[in-house]
Amino acid sequence: MSRKKYSVAIRDVIAEEMRSDPSVFVMGEDIGALGGVFGCTRDLQKEFGKNRVRDTPIAEAGYVGTGIGAALTGMRPILDFMYLDFVYVAMDQLLNQAAKLRYMYGGRATLPLVVRGQQGIGRGNAGTHSQSVEAFFTHIPGFKVAMPSTASDAAGLLRTAIRDNNPVMFIEHKALYASSEEVPDDPNFAIPFGKAAVRRQGKDVTIIATSLMVGRALEAAEALSKEGIEAEVIDPRTLLPLDLDTMLKSIEKTGRAVVVHEAHKNNGVGAEIASQIMEAGFKFLDAPVVRLGAKACTLPFSLVLENAVVPGVDDIHEAAKQVCYK
Amino acid sequence: MATKVNMPKQGLQMTEGTIISWLAAEGEQVKEGYPLYEMETDKLTIEISAPASGTLLKIIRGEGDVVPITETIAIIGEQGEDISGLLAEIQSSGTGDNSEETAPAESQKAGVGDKTAAASEAAAAGEPKAEGLGTGTTAGSPAGKGPFYSSPRARWKAEEYGIDITTLSGTGPEGMVVERDVQAAAQNRPKATPLAQQSAAESGIDLSGVEGSGPRGKIYRKDVEAAHRAVSGTAAAGTAARSYREDRLVPLTGMRKTISARMRESLDTAAQAVHRIDVDMSETVRMRESLKAAEVKVSYNDIILKAVSLSLQAYPRMNSRLTDDGILELGAVNIGVAVALDEGLIVPVLRDVDLLSLKAIHDETRRLADRARTGELTQEEYTGGSFSVSNLGMYELDSFTAIINRPESGILAVGAIKDKPAAVKGELQIRPICGLSLTYDHRIIDGAPAADFLLSVKQLLENPYLLV
Repeated sequence: MSRKKYSVAIRDVIAEEMRSDPSVFVMGEDIGALGGVFGCTRDLQKEFGKNRVRDTPIAEAGYVGTGIGAALTGMRPILDFMYLDFVYVAMDQLLNQAAKLRYMYGGRATLPLVVRGQQGIGRGNAGTHSQSVEAFFTHIPGFKVAMPSTASDAAGLLRTAIRDNNPVMFIEHKALYASSEEVPDDPNFAIPFGKAAVRRQGKDVTIIATSLMVGRALEAAEALSKEGIEAEVIDPRTLLPLDLDTMLKSIEKTGRAVVVHEAHKNNGVGAEIASQIMEAGFKFLDAPVVRLGAKACTLPFSLVLENAVVPGVDDIHEAAKQVCYK
Repeated sequence: MATKVNMPKQGLQMTEGTIISWLAAEGEQVKEGYPLYEMETDKLTIEISAPASGTLLKIIRGEGDVVPITETIAIIGEQGEDISGLLAEIQSSGTGDNSEETAPAESQKAGVGDKTAAASEAAAAGEPKAEGLGTGTTAGSPAGKGPFYSSPRARWKAEEYGIDITTLSGTGPEGMVVERDVQAAAQNRPKATPLAQQSAAESGIDLSGVEGSGPRGKIYRKDVEAAHRAVSGTAAAGTAARSYREDRLVPLTGMRKTISARMRESLDTAAQAVHRIDVDMSETVRMRESLKAAEVKVSYNDIILKAVSLSLQAYPRMNSRLTDDGILELGAVNIGVAVALDEGLIVPVLRDVDLLSLKAIHDETRRLADRARTGELTQEEYTGGSFSVSNLGMYELDSFTAIINRPESGILAVGAIKDKPAAVKGELQIRPICGLSLTYDHRIIDGAPAADFLLSVKQLLENPYLLV
């Protein structure tokens, strides 16, 4: 085990996979000499050269299309997005091509493509650099979607993503890059998709949180504990596939659920999770499932307003008490 | 503002309830949602929670009182509150309600099958509904305060604990019953039947030391009596033993009252004569074992019911009732099956038994017995029989005499199947023998045809393959 930052854990897994598999390569903006705005590709070009760590023009649709072609012809590209907000520029390639090709070729083609990058709040990057894009990729069938909330999960899930023969949307968080924890050194350390992590055990209420919200949910759980409410915190880790079983097992015990994400609450992934819980576990519920998400407004530039728009520790605390009728 | 505690309606058929005991005394503090009194209908005994928190200012109807639904039985309010006006209002309206309510109750007790009773039964079914609307009571709302809500989890947990959720008061939003209300009820629930509690109080037995034989360790009266017998030999139980020997007056209420009246009426009316016969059950035992090996679950009673049903079909006079117009031989073979309950017995009716397969008889008997034990039987399920079977085989009885369940004209009492010496083709053998005892109404059935019927049952049970 080595203590690593989230961003370094990602860089190291990319390097290890590139060493063991010559078909793995990286493309994106400012990833070569600069090593990426957040350091996720630092020094990779020195080791692997300009052919395998390719800087691209500011033309997302172009290099995503290039990556799809490479993947179809046997390579395992990792496409780097400086900000995941920019996927909107490449949506035709992503959702009309990448998501559909395996189906349209009748399963005779594989598409081992990883699209990775960071999203979310934390730096006051304003409306077009702070969004959460996961709902687009869980809505259109074809992508797997991973959202690691810790350094170790980032490493284990990224390895699974690179080795998967399907397109994977790998969603990191800018505010988590500096967080660090012990990460296994095993060059084959991988976390399977579709297995949620129970971050905290509790018997009174289940809080399901993704990415940055996992930490806030754990903080809220500590505060709730002082008031006699023991919250169980579940991090799904991948949104597609989604580990409903772990959530239902928890809710059978607690009878109450709060779903928290940073993305907009309206039509967000939380609505899907809440619905699945109700369809499969209605009888377990003592209260309606409550969703928390960003308000339906553009993410503001001001850090103060940014925090006012997305769910905070207090919001999670209040929602948990509400479903406990306290 | 004082709150009236009204006799709740606990089922469609309920017109009155008997107050068994008050769990709080006048002047004591009571809490909304916590048990206030115990009551009994003709089908079940239950605890009812207080509809409001406060002081129990006045108990209007005492223990043992039979009270029509919706009538006020107590008042909860604030200490020192003046309730004289409320009491006067209750007194003036109470008698009016009373006369209306007792009418359908009386008609229900009348015999089934004569035309006037059937007509007034229909009236009985309609009348309480109208009453409920008139006084603003909504079915399923125990406090009578509008619609009843409960969370899915509360319903799930209540079912698990065997708690009737509609008897609970909710503490969730808009009075919704949520899980914590069910948990509170489960914790406060007496783990002993009212009779067991009474028996324990009289014999000085601490219920916490008694092991219950019922589901989830529920303590029955027989458990208390066993515990009492276990200690009554020791010197320490001297005082307890004395009080146990004191007389005890049990009010004749609910189911007991109904049984009492019906048994007396039966003996007063029918000319009851008895035939008894021994049946060699060897072949029936063998058949049941074969079915069991094939994983077909069938009880001896199921097989006996089938044999009785086919015999009733062959001897329609046994399947008849005496009416003012003559002897009515009934077309359908509907057999009542006596089910013993803690507080008495009830006879749910299996319809068209002669047309049912053994497996169907088995499933239907179990379903009805389960519903009888949980007090869920509807009136349609315990009326309309044409003949009855009472099986006390589990009590090791050789045979016994049953009383006809009027207006039927016959009842078969089934004893235990016991290994007994039997003469078989001049040799002494041990055979499983079952004693059958037929009580029949000699006013319409003579000795010889009754014997023919009983012989038919015997032959079918000794050659059970004829049942198929």
